[in-house]
Amino acid sequence: MSNTMTELLGLIQKAYDIDPASIDPHKPLSEFGLDSLALAELMFNIEDHFHIDYPESRTGVQTLAELAQVVDEVRAAVQVK
Amino acid sequence: MSARDVVISGLGLVSPHGDDPAIAFEALLRGQSAINLWTREGLPPAAVASAAFSPERWFTKLQLVGVDRVSQMAVAAAEMARTDARWPEGIDPERIGVFIGSGMGGASALEDGYEAARSGRRVSPLTVVAAMTNAPAAHIAIRARAEGPVYTYSVACASSALAIAEAAKAIAAGEIDIAIAGGAEALLVPGVVRAWQALQTLATPDAADPGRSCRPFDLHRSGFALGEGAAMLVLESRQHAQDRGAPVRVRFAGSGISCDAQHMTKPQAQGQMRALRNALRASGLSPRDIGYCNAHGTATRVGDGVECEALRTVWGDDIDALRVSSTKSMHGHLLGAAGALEAVVTVLALEQRCAPPTPSCQEPDPACAVPLIRETKASLPDLRSAISNSFAFGGTNVVLAFSRND
Repeated sequence: MSNTMTELLGLIQKAYDIDPASIDPHKPLSEFGLDSLALAELMFNIEDHFHIDYPESRTGVQTLAELAQVVDEVRAAVQVK
Repeated sequence: MSARDVVISGLGLVSPHGDDPAIAFEALLRGQSAINLWTREGLPPAAVASAAFSPERWFTKLQLVGVDRVSQMAVAAAEMARTDARWPEGIDPERIGVFIGSGMGGASALEDGYEAARSGRRVSPLTVVAAMTNAPAAHIAIRARAEGPVYTYSVACASSALAIAEAAKAIAAGEIDIAIAGGAEALLVPGVVRAWQALQTLATPDAADPGRSCRPFDLHRSGFALGEGAAMLVLESRQHAQDRGAPVRVRFAGSGISCDAQHMTKPQAQGQMRALRNALRASGLSPRDIGYCNAHGTATRVGDGVECEALRTVWGDDIDALRVSSTKSMHGHLLGAAGALEAVVTVLALEQRCAPPTPSCQEPDPACAVPLIRETKASLPDLRSAISNSFAFGGTNVVLAFSRND
């Protein structure tokens, strides 16, 4: 598991009390109880935690695996700059 | 009694005196105040009544996303009221209404948002959904799956009294069978407390005995103590209650509503008298039928005298048979939730034929010459009907009348 994924699972556990072991990263987060409001808040927390601007073009992601990929892409792009 | 009667079948509370209506009422009967000193660095102290409330019993962490304290307390009180009413499964969702009063909605969320914006931090994306005034009603509707009328009344200090009155009308008109009605307020945050202090309507804190800071009807009264909490009632048609074998606590006898249409903050006896008379007419009761009045009684210099003048004028010679107290002296002024909390107190007074005092009123103002309850646990053996007054900034007056069910 990538560090990003571990950190994301940690964020979700801390904010929503959801056991990381219960989350399948390849299933939509809505299946684990995160509705659109919780997702909006999660994005906010992700931006704070990773010190990134989450790209508008990627707000449609559904799964944790996709989220981790976006976070890694943004951080890589920042480092290249 | 008729099948179209509206009855109260459940009560739920999150209050400065706790979340058990019977225990809270017992404390009020004893004259026990829940008002305390509130202090924040850089701000003058205030006398307030806060509610010891934590949401874990009612919400998972995930469910708390975007839910302000005001909605948390509203949901908790509504769930307890439904339990008390033995709310059944299988009610047609479209026949369920939710009628909630709130003055300021999610004050904490709004204040946090302002703070963040001012200090250059990012504002939570859920500030609006948490702060909007109708959030408490919406959360209750989601829990109860109420698909009928789900309304929010923001009429300052009369908000939840009006919500209850409107719920009863919708039931009596046959629009719905059952409703959750009440109010919630949670505004003990620095910006809001400071704004109320600036208006100069708050009680001067009594350093020696903070619980006595708010002194309705007393010669030395100086204003009210802000309070927080939620109070909910389940109202339904008598037919609906009978059909499901529900516990009936009291009958909702009627309501009277008026507006002073004179001044934003200065109350008018004429307007209050119209609301009192409207309530008597709607409930088919005469002044001598009313044994107890839970007064609006905010302990402002002007307000208490005007309310007593209105009562004296409408009651005339029958005033001697009326007993009056202001429980705001003990639970504070819950603003948007005040009418509902005081309706709960009035319901319990009717059930137990016993009413609370105004313990902080030591030296009654001659301008407030009505028969005040001075003793604790005042026994009212002949009590059959009672009223609760709520008179708002903005001039809207609401009087709720309740009668015993026997």
